[in-house]
Amino acid sequence: MAHKKRYALVIDSKKCIDCKSCVVACRAENNVPLRYSRNWIDEEHRGEWPRLLAAYEPGQCQQCESPACVRVCPTGASYQRPDGIVAINETECVGCRYCIIACPYDARFFREDKGVVEKCDFCAKRVDRGEVPACVETCPSKVRVFGDFNDPNGPVRRLLESRRYYTKKPEAGTGPQIYYLL
Amino acid sequence: MKKIEWGYLIVSYLFLGGLSAGLYFVSALASLLPKNGEENAYKRIARIGALLAPWPVMVGCFLLIFDLGRWYRFWKLFFHIRWTSPMSLGSWLLIAFSVVAVLYFYSWLTAGQRGWLFSRVPKRLTFLHLLDRDISGKQRVLALIGLPISVGVGIYTGVLLGAVQSRPFWNTNLVAQLFLFSALSTGCAVIMLVLAWQHEPADSHGLQLLYNLDIALMILEFFIVVPYIVHGQLSVQAVKDSLELILGGPFTLLFWVFFLGLGLLLPLAIEVFESLPVLLSRATVHYNQRLTAVTALLVLAGGFLLRYIFVFAGQMSRFN
Amino acid sequence: MDRRRFLTWTAGGAVGATVAASISHFEPFLKKREAGATRVEVPTTCEMCVNKCSVIAVVENGVIHKLNPNPASPKSRGMLCARGNAGIQQVYEPARLKRPLIRAGERGEGKWRPATWDEAWDFTANKLLGVKDKYGPQGSLWSSTESFQETFFKNLGLSFGSPNIVRHPTLCLASVNLAYSATFGTVPAFDLANAKYVIMSGANRFESFITPDTMDLIESTTERKARLIYLDPRFTVTAAKADEWYPIKPGTDLAFVLAMLNVIIGESRHDKEFVNTYTVGFDKLIDHIKSFTPEWAEQETEIPAKHIVRIAREFSDAAPRAVYYAGRRSSWYREDFQTRRAQAILNAIVGSWDREGGMVPNGKIALGEYDFFPWDDPVAPRIDEIDKNFPMAAKGDGAYLKLRENVLAGAPYPVKAWMIHKQDPMNALPDQAKTIQMLQQMDFVGVIDVQMSDTAWYADVIFPESTYLERQDPVEAMSGIWPVVVYRQPVIKPLHDTKPTLEIVQGLAKRLNLSQYFDFTIEQWVNAQVKELPIEAPLEYLKKHGIYVPPDFPKYGTTLNSEHRFVTKSGKIEIFSDRLQEFGYDPLPLYHPPAQSPPGTLRLITGRKAYFTHANSTNNPWLNAFDPENRLWLNPATADSLGVADGQLVEAASTAGAVRLKVKVTQEIRPDCVFMLHGFGKRAKWQRLVAGVGACDAQLLETAWDKVSGNAALHETFVKVRKV
Repeated sequence: MAHKKRYALVIDSKKCIDCKSCVVACRAENNVPLRYSRNWIDEEHRGEWPRLLAAYEPGQCQQCESPACVRVCPTGASYQRPDGIVAINETECVGCRYCIIACPYDARFFREDKGVVEKCDFCAKRVDRGEVPACVETCPSKVRVFGDFNDPNGPVRRLLESRRYYTKKPEAGTGPQIYYLL
Repeated sequence: MKKIEWGYLIVSYLFLGGLSAGLYFVSALASLLPKNGEENAYKRIARIGALLAPWPVMVGCFLLIFDLGRWYRFWKLFFHIRWTSPMSLGSWLLIAFSVVAVLYFYSWLTAGQRGWLFSRVPKRLTFLHLLDRDISGKQRVLALIGLPISVGVGIYTGVLLGAVQSRPFWNTNLVAQLFLFSALSTGCAVIMLVLAWQHEPADSHGLQLLYNLDIALMILEFFIVVPYIVHGQLSVQAVKDSLELILGGPFTLLFWVFFLGLGLLLPLAIEVFESLPVLLSRATVHYNQRLTAVTALLVLAGGFLLRYIFVFAGQMSRFN
Repeated sequence: MDRRRFLTWTAGGAVGATVAASISHFEPFLKKREAGATRVEVPTTCEMCVNKCSVIAVVENGVIHKLNPNPASPKSRGMLCARGNAGIQQVYEPARLKRPLIRAGERGEGKWRPATWDEAWDFTANKLLGVKDKYGPQGSLWSSTESFQETFFKNLGLSFGSPNIVRHPTLCLASVNLAYSATFGTVPAFDLANAKYVIMSGANRFESFITPDTMDLIESTTERKARLIYLDPRFTVTAAKADEWYPIKPGTDLAFVLAMLNVIIGESRHDKEFVNTYTVGFDKLIDHIKSFTPEWAEQETEIPAKHIVRIAREFSDAAPRAVYYAGRRSSWYREDFQTRRAQAILNAIVGSWDREGGMVPNGKIALGEYDFFPWDDPVAPRIDEIDKNFPMAAKGDGAYLKLRENVLAGAPYPVKAWMIHKQDPMNALPDQAKTIQMLQQMDFVGVIDVQMSDTAWYADVIFPESTYLERQDPVEAMSGIWPVVVYRQPVIKPLHDTKPTLEIVQGLAKRLNLSQYFDFTIEQWVNAQVKELPIEAPLEYLKKHGIYVPPDFPKYGTTLNSEHRFVTKSGKIEIFSDRLQEFGYDPLPLYHPPAQSPPGTLRLITGRKAYFTHANSTNNPWLNAFDPENRLWLNPATADSLGVADGQLVEAASTAGAVRLKVKVTQEIRPDCVFMLHGFGKRAKWQRLVAGVGACDAQLLETAWDKVSGNAALHETFVKVRKV
């Protein structure tokens, strides 16, 4: 029985080595000019010599289940696809930037050269062609696992059923769909 | 957010929108309140409010359109209505308000003022001259219709911020009320300013209404600010942290000294001081013109600062 | 009512209203027309570093839009790193070399005049012939860095009659390769995917660059509980991911290894059967190792003895799935050969050879060869006198720093022409002042490159090479646990007036009367290479897939039989090396402590980042964005003692030179060391992102080399730091 597809991402930050491959791949795939970025790596450095810690956590649009950005958009330019991907219809965007303010994750940014808002959309064009997002494909450590959350045998569900995980800023209440493995 | 997206243009628009709402509200109140036989009691302030009400928000709308990434797509806001988006609802409210406010403005024009206006219109455009009618009879109806719309405009600017769950500084139901009362208060202030500026005999009766109204509004404002801070301090960590912006952070001085002190409590104190004789002995008091003007300016500055602080500090607050 | 007026006003209003609406709709239509129809995918091989990952280029309307990983490659495992993705920028870089240039001012002044290819070739050939006349063909030096077309450049030098070919290993991994060759007769790969216990000295695999080892190691440590022990004076990304990290005193790794040997042999934890069957010289090691106790090692390395003991035990328990990782760039200390030798011996005695999780001799694929006309071997001896100075070193690669010393001295003979391919000696060699001196000493300097490097900036003639995405190259057989044959074909036609190296070489050959040695097309060459591959229509196959992956790999245990003869003097794995003894080197590693920093100085150490390939990609805008300026890393204690704060400008000075750059105060480095990234502070103004930005480490690094291999030793420099 066919089920409704719902895309999600599982991220194993333990494997992330901050090599920036995902950032460059995204930039190339989506023609993002240098002053902006659809994805990024958050770093944490702690401790005093020689007891030190460093950890890296990739970030991007969380493709929320209950996206605040879609809710506040006055023209419907920001919308959610049936498969869960939150996308932006550039022709409808007037550039009011309400969505940027509404996003708890700093995922959106305003393209001054185009006058519209932009963000990660899970490389929707690639996904529609049957490929995975560029950041997922290019990663040397295979930090990201992309798939259909609703597929009980898919990689996303299998990981989430066997591993503990957290999501970012759940208290913001938007239902982020990127799961970070513990 | 990585940088401040909504800046002075939006702050100014919020202020001007609230101001228009307040002007209309006070004018409408002034024209609806008087009992039979006392129709002229507040006519002067009603007229001032009505004549001024449409314009600030229209300037604000220009600023708003100018702030858009693609200004020439502003009309798209009126090709959709999205019930979950305060901005969408607000845009429609603004259209409704503007229409009603212009009609209301028109209804309060004296025959002489109408004459002057239409003398400016070329005689050849006869279809425009068809609009030269006296609709002053409709004042009360328009006041009634426009009252809820103006409240809507006043409150929606707060809803715009309050609906954003990801900015803890705004994440409270109180923002809408705070902005509404502040908006109405700025409406009072502008009319007070006009009265103080006019050289006609003082309208003590009208000023009394304005003072009473403004005192009530500012007391209400104050009793929103207090729970906002107290409850915020007792709320979730993100909200508590966001309040640091005004409790030691960059907006502390602005908030306590300039907004709360000079922009709210000082004008409140002056107005109470001026109104004390009236309240105590029911006498008709002669208000000090200069004091009235100063009070009004303080209220206006306070109203602008309130929006400035909220818009900027809000964008700096975040869930961590 | 005036109808005309009414109509005019209405019409005007309507026009105004439609303007707003029209502008909004105009752009999408424009965009739709542009987003045309053609989209092709072309498989090829990356050249942003030496890993040669397999790539599929997506070309839309003749423009390279994206480089995607080719999932077919077991080497790149379906990934493409930041550098690989940024390869697009190498092609479309506006300040690329677009046509041949001839110097118009002084060397290093940056004045150029565009030239035709004929002009450039004529000029160069004349100069080369002039040098040949006066000094003999050995008066020319041909230096290059690894590329698929390097062989043509090298052969030009050789057929010209010059023995002076020098390549990059002598600045990189010559010492570790020689150490493993001396022990095993070959340089093995490391099966990190299956290892259970890995020790690394530096070789910052999770940060310095992305290789199959990176991917295998991150997976085996996170998914299969492999243990990683990491020694480094810096807290790098690898240190952050390792199970244990020790901030080892720089240059003392050999002491650590010797102590491990001491424990393992002392407690009889070695693989006796393996040692008896496949090695020689173990008996000599037993005595040799007795004095190198963990307690002694603790004094040298600052690693607690109890940990050394425990690690040695854990290592031997995990064997044969245990390796002391050899690393790659071993250009650190004067004693690096012996340090790597000790590591090789350690791996050998626990039997981590040719088994899953251990060292595995490389599988190889045989390619055909184009039958080109052979030339006579050069007559003159090499300028670096490598036979005399480094008799065990790989002669074809040379000893770069000794070579420079001799060239500067003009002895044993003068070298007056310098041809350079895909190399930037100004940055690759330490002690830049000497490199500049060497350049200035030349009658002629010619460079083949894709961008204006610092060396090209000092050249007389620059030949612009087509980038790897615009070229057909020879195929390359990559050995390893999973050997493959990779293919590189042009993805777009060359954007500018550039040529592949073969054509550049052919143009020169014609004028040097050497055409007969280069009388073939690249297609003919490739055809000859692939003829022998065991597949149907190999060329079409490679064009379509970009790579050939032979079945039946990995293969373990191919050498573990009585018939196998190791390529060593004894035919076995040489723990004790007679050959080393013959040449006067320690046949078993002896510990010579590294030079200590003179008072008031700090040791300068080097390292790399995942997004910069040495000095050649720091100007790539997509990569430069991650680190636009290099800084001098100082531990907070060191910074305090010098009175400098984070971001402050300081001067770092060594005997080689002085540079100025800002400070980065960080906990992540030993208090007695400083660190700076490579590839900044450039002179070539065309590299506008890094020209004059930050500082050039080559100006600071002093000349030192490993005793046995002649490999550069880049961690032997001490600097004085002061605020300015």
